[in-house]
Amino acid sequence: MTQDDAPPSSSQQGLEEENHPRRRDVLATVTLGMGCAGACALAYPFLNSLNGTQSSRIGEDDTVEVDCSKLAPGQQLVVTWRGWPVFVQRRTPEMLASLRVPELAHRLRDPESKMHQQPQDAINWHRSVVPEIGVLIGICTHLGCVPSFDAPSSGDRSGKYACPCHGSQFDIAGRAYKDAPAPYNLPVPPVTIISDQHLLIGKSKGDPDFDIATIQQI
Amino acid sequence: MTDKSQDLSRWVEKRLPIVSSFRREYVDFAMPKNLNYLWNFGAFATVSLGMLLLSGIFLALNYTPTVSDAFSSIETIDRQVASGWLVRSIHMGGVSMLFAALYVHVARGLYYGSYKAPRELIWLTGLGLLLMVMITAFAGYILPWGQMSYWGATVVVNALNTVPLIGKALTSWLMGGEGLGNVALHRIYVLHFLTAFSIIGVVALHIATLHVAGSNNPTGIDPEYSDETVPFHPYYTSKDGLGLCLFLIVYAVVVFFAPDFLTLAENYVQANPLVTPQDITPEWYFAPFYAILRAVPSKLGGLILATGSIGVLFAVPWLDKSPVRSARYRPLLRPALLLLFFSFVALGFAGMHPPAGGWLWLSRVAVCYWYLYFLVLLPFQSRRETSPSPTVQHEGSE
Amino acid sequence: MKYLFVALLALSPLQAMASTPEQRGFQVFRQVCSSCHSLNYVAYSDLSELGLSVSAIKDYAAQHQVADGLDDDGDLKTRPAHPSDKIGSPYPSENLARMANHGGLPPDFSRLALTQKGGTARIIQILESYASAPEGAVLPQGSYYNLAMKHRHIAMPQPLHAGQVKYSDGTSATISQMAQDVGTFLEWTARPHLQTRHRIGIYTLIYLIVMSMLVFVLKNRIWKKVKE
Repeated sequence: MTQDDAPPSSSQQGLEEENHPRRRDVLATVTLGMGCAGACALAYPFLNSLNGTQSSRIGEDDTVEVDCSKLAPGQQLVVTWRGWPVFVQRRTPEMLASLRVPELAHRLRDPESKMHQQPQDAINWHRSVVPEIGVLIGICTHLGCVPSFDAPSSGDRSGKYACPCHGSQFDIAGRAYKDAPAPYNLPVPPVTIISDQHLLIGKSKGDPDFDIATIQQI
Repeated sequence: MTDKSQDLSRWVEKRLPIVSSFRREYVDFAMPKNLNYLWNFGAFATVSLGMLLLSGIFLALNYTPTVSDAFSSIETIDRQVASGWLVRSIHMGGVSMLFAALYVHVARGLYYGSYKAPRELIWLTGLGLLLMVMITAFAGYILPWGQMSYWGATVVVNALNTVPLIGKALTSWLMGGEGLGNVALHRIYVLHFLTAFSIIGVVALHIATLHVAGSNNPTGIDPEYSDETVPFHPYYTSKDGLGLCLFLIVYAVVVFFAPDFLTLAENYVQANPLVTPQDITPEWYFAPFYAILRAVPSKLGGLILATGSIGVLFAVPWLDKSPVRSARYRPLLRPALLLLFFSFVALGFAGMHPPAGGWLWLSRVAVCYWYLYFLVLLPFQSRRETSPSPTVQHEGSE
Repeated sequence: MKYLFVALLALSPLQAMASTPEQRGFQVFRQVCSSCHSLNYVAYSDLSELGLSVSAIKDYAAQHQVADGLDDDGDLKTRPAHPSDKIGSPYPSENLARMANHGGLPPDFSRLALTQKGGTARIIQILESYASAPEGAVLPQGSYYNLAMKHRHIAMPQPLHAGQVKYSDGTSATISQMAQDVGTFLEWTARPHLQTRHRIGIYTLIYLIVMSMLVFVLKNRIWKKVKE
């Protein structure tokens, strides 16, 4: 409302100078300050409404149960968890062997999984709870495209992931290759093995406190 | 430091004199010093409009303009969206506050003769704004897709259909040749936004024309000497500020303590094309015109008289030939004008009651008086009037 | 052993679940009304506003099934409801609801207290006005004698019977007690966030009144010279 003192220049109104009340004083400042505070308070409900309906999702467990009985060795299936594509792969002995080739480590950015991109129980050479089943969130750590799965073939017995957007490459355990743009390994979601052919994505038995929101990059 | 900022402001000033024009129009602008609190209502309307636009944007982010989801998206806003109930109440309350401010603002213009030369364009742009606000409000009322939304829209679309020559084309353009459904709802949603934001532009025109002639005042005599005026700031910023605080108190009471006092509960029932609700009535701000519509036992006649009741306002600057602006100095017109305001209120009440018995006759009498005032009393009374005060029009005063 | 169980029950969240009128009304809704009436726009999570705990809400939601697309064979699939789901209708479709109720559709409870003429008071009155029909009274098929109705009959069979609900806070479940509680619950569903609305309203009014006084003093001081 009241603003800084503004002496009317070349007062065409011809109002005498002493007719002007002193404006910059405590009362005006307090009023102005309270007005601004009120405007800020008014902004709160509008900005708060941008949070949408998320507060109604109280205590919901967002776990997905996956049945991998029909998953052939060397193949992967894709499920969605929290709206993200999750790759579930059954690894062949050749694929597993390819992860342990010593020369490979030199070509990977983070061969030991030191970056926080997986729960505790997936910090190992195969980046999963059990070596035979691999679970990865299929979002490239470069700019978020979904890498495509190059299934093991007679030419390449190990298989790999290649991102169609900017050529990022990952090995079958989701570890990023050095000479490509993706900076981190593919994230591993929390996984619990329920039985031979069933696993639960969203909850980790080996790392119950794991929160996917805390990882380096999704 | 200060030198540099002065250099910068000089640099900007030379290219875009925005600071100096703001100062000229909103700080130093000469205002008559005798304005009463009725001159606050333009500011009230502006603030209500601002609140409506702001809350409208945030509502639109959560609203779904489809027949199947519109109603439940509104319920979600009211129940689950964080602070959604408050944003929606600010929007719903804002409409009532805007209309209330506008009706008083127009009445003040009529009473003090603010439509007379040289202010005809202020009056015309203002009435244009009133029409735009009405269209926006009506379109907005359809969006929740409740029973009143649906049947109000049905009634108006059918009324539009009876307009000779263009009626059929208009409804077809609005509804895409289909019934009241998804296509129509989507178009009405766009229309609501389009008219709402166009209003800002016309408000700018309204204020620009006002700043050419300057404000009228209760005497209707333009100030001639500089000791009759004060600069806008701080005099009218503080006076508008005080009025605004009181206006906001009423607004807050509506939003927080009477959110369903001014609205119709029936609109919390989802639209059902198979059942028309009992006692269908519009929101209070349309009630006077709805009363006129029903007072006439003819479809087209009612429509003509209802739209004509606003249309006649556009002609007021030329119907009134009296040289005296303010009704304060027009002893014959003054009671007639007060009776006009009373008949508008009476029409409003009649519009909210079933059209039978006393209410029907009251609305018929009131609408007759409405036209009598504008077409007979206003043009001819000025001839018989002699002013009791030594008032002469200061033609060509600055 | 039995006493220990009762003592444990008294400490459990169930106790907290029914100590306010709204909570008791919810208990009546849950055990009586919800077998016919829907709550289409209220989400399970909204019940937290009545003071229900997250676990109580989750348990209540999990007892209901909601549609969840198609399974691998293309058949309709359901899953237990989440707290963010709407409480919805006990019937899978409107037509089924009509068939189960002599062709009438039990009204949705979401805004009933607002849309019902006479509001909550009228609903309570109807609930309390069931009586046995006097001799010679002819009732249309599928309707029941009720003194509150103009024609003395209503399509809803008497929903409340004394002692039907066992309030965990020990309130005795008379018909009028249950009717009052359901009325309070419906008042809440029709006007959600009312307490918050009033609380923020008070703060806003206090702010605006202080602001008005400040501006009033400021304005009078500014205008003093002009008025003289």
